[in-house]
Amino acid sequence: MAPSASLKERAARLEEIAVEVRAHIIDMIYTARSGHPGSSLSTADIMTALYFDLARVDPRRPEWPDRDRIILSKGHGCPVWYACLALKGYFPLEVLKTLRRFESILQGHPDMRKTPGVDMTTGSLGHGLSLGVGMALEGRLRAADYTVYVILGDGEVQEGQVWEAAASAAKYGLDNLVAVVDRNRLQMDGFTDRVMPMEPLDAKFRAFNWQVMRMDGHDMKQILTTLQAAREAKNNPVCVLADTVKGKGVSFMENVRVWHGKCPNKEEYEQAMREIRGRQP
Amino acid sequence: MSREKLKKATSATRRAFGERMKEVGAVNPDFVVFEADIGYSTYSHLFGDAYPERYFNMGLAEGNTMSAAAGMAAGGRTVVACSYGVFITMRAVESLRTYICYPNLNVKFLSSHGGVTAAIDGVTHQATEDIAFMTTLPNMKVLVPADSRAARACFDLALATPGPVFVRLMRDPLFDVYPDTESFVLGGSKRLREGSDITLVSYGDILFQALEAAEELSQEGISAEVIDMYSIKPFDREGLLSSIRKTGALLVAENHQQRNGLGYELATFCLKEQPVPFDNLGLADTFAESGNYVKVLDKYGLSHSHIMRAARTLFNKKRGA
Repeated sequence: MAPSASLKERAARLEEIAVEVRAHIIDMIYTARSGHPGSSLSTADIMTALYFDLARVDPRRPEWPDRDRIILSKGHGCPVWYACLALKGYFPLEVLKTLRRFESILQGHPDMRKTPGVDMTTGSLGHGLSLGVGMALEGRLRAADYTVYVILGDGEVQEGQVWEAAASAAKYGLDNLVAVVDRNRLQMDGFTDRVMPMEPLDAKFRAFNWQVMRMDGHDMKQILTTLQAAREAKNNPVCVLADTVKGKGVSFMENVRVWHGKCPNKEEYEQAMREIRGRQP
Repeated sequence: MSREKLKKATSATRRAFGERMKEVGAVNPDFVVFEADIGYSTYSHLFGDAYPERYFNMGLAEGNTMSAAAGMAAGGRTVVACSYGVFITMRAVESLRTYICYPNLNVKFLSSHGGVTAAIDGVTHQATEDIAFMTTLPNMKVLVPADSRAARACFDLALATPGPVFVRLMRDPLFDVYPDTESFVLGGSKRLREGSDITLVSYGDILFQALEAAEELSQEGISAEVIDMYSIKPFDREGLLSSIRKTGALLVAENHQQRNGLGYELATFCLKEQPVPFDNLGLADTFAESGNYVKVLDKYGLSHSHIMRAARTLFNKKRGA
């Protein structure tokens, strides 16, 4: 898209791409008969905005040293990552059908050695922010101007190591690090605030000397302006609390716990695809 | 080679490793060091004082320290991550397994206080399960230098070896066995004493107990061969095979749990390749305790007298006595 495109035009284009991303998420999980649809759908708009507008990446050069880094710390949501990478051109779209299959490049949880464009192996929760801290320190040491984006789950922030990482990012003033918390309010066993209350998250990150921003994680214009501001912020790392809906885009999956990690049957699959496509302009 | 003949060491292996790290840092700007607030104990502060821009003290947070090391290494950087063995191999083991070994990243571990060499510190600081954890991880290599020269060489070896390398170091100075010119290779071993009746394999501090035991055994007419298996993973299969084919008996002694240490590894190997009368000494499914190092070694069955007793039994078993 031309640099002169208005925010409205950029958002409209991304919304169309996000429809494709969501359709591929449902399609690949249905084909694999396994995966995490709810967790993937809640970050679909954020990941789309990163890969198709904000992030400086080049699918022809997945190892480009100066690329922005994207770490999906909530690795179980990898169908959204794989869909974005395939649509961006890192590997053919047909490969999406091999999700979780024997000898596939698309492992059940992300593997940096198998999937082009996956900047870091993830899947075990609580490590992504630490991994991002290391990448941001490396960027600073090399005087590279890349930004490291880490997508965290809102259940994941219950892991203590997230806060060790938060402290270290603030110590080093890593303003090349942006953490996005996918605040969909559900985790595997139920509502996050019942399983283990972590609010006020904004005050917690501020107390760790982070800058905190908030956005509607499904409003493309807000995503674009907020993440741009987060990228440009100086002196401190930035945490963006993204209010999202688990299962966003498929009515019967939205805010329903079991769709954290459940595969749709044929009828559910067809309805999901109709709903996702139906929203296409 | 009795203990009296061994040269008293002036430097602990942790210190020698840290000093070498600083020396290499002067000519190689391509590696960085991560520490978790025990830099004055691991001696990583020597590097940090000299090259503060390449030194990252992540505080008392070993999980974050090791995962951040992984993130840095993912960009092609080599990282030396420092702490005590108990914390690296247990508190942070998942960082090592999933984020360093699985992607096979260039992180090297300076792991101090191996075994009960930290005797006076007590069980919380004695890494007596580290070899089990580390040798079990795919892609991980494991080295244990017995003296200062070996420690310096192991730093160079770790840096030159692709992927994760774990180096177990000792708290206190013991003895020096190697000249400054001695060279060490991944998968190598050192035959420090030739013998024909039994092979004694050890590493790190227990090597000296084995040497002393061999000396005393020789006065009883038992000829013991002593091998320093400084490269635990991979280990020197050919060197071990040639020795046990000659002696026909193997005794492994190590400052580690008896279970799942080098002893178990070599027992499995022998069963497959060359079954011989075998025994292994280590902590017998127990924790040790605080106290004088020599007394702790003896109480928990790791001193030269225990090695001698086990060697005699094996020797007699071999002869069918």
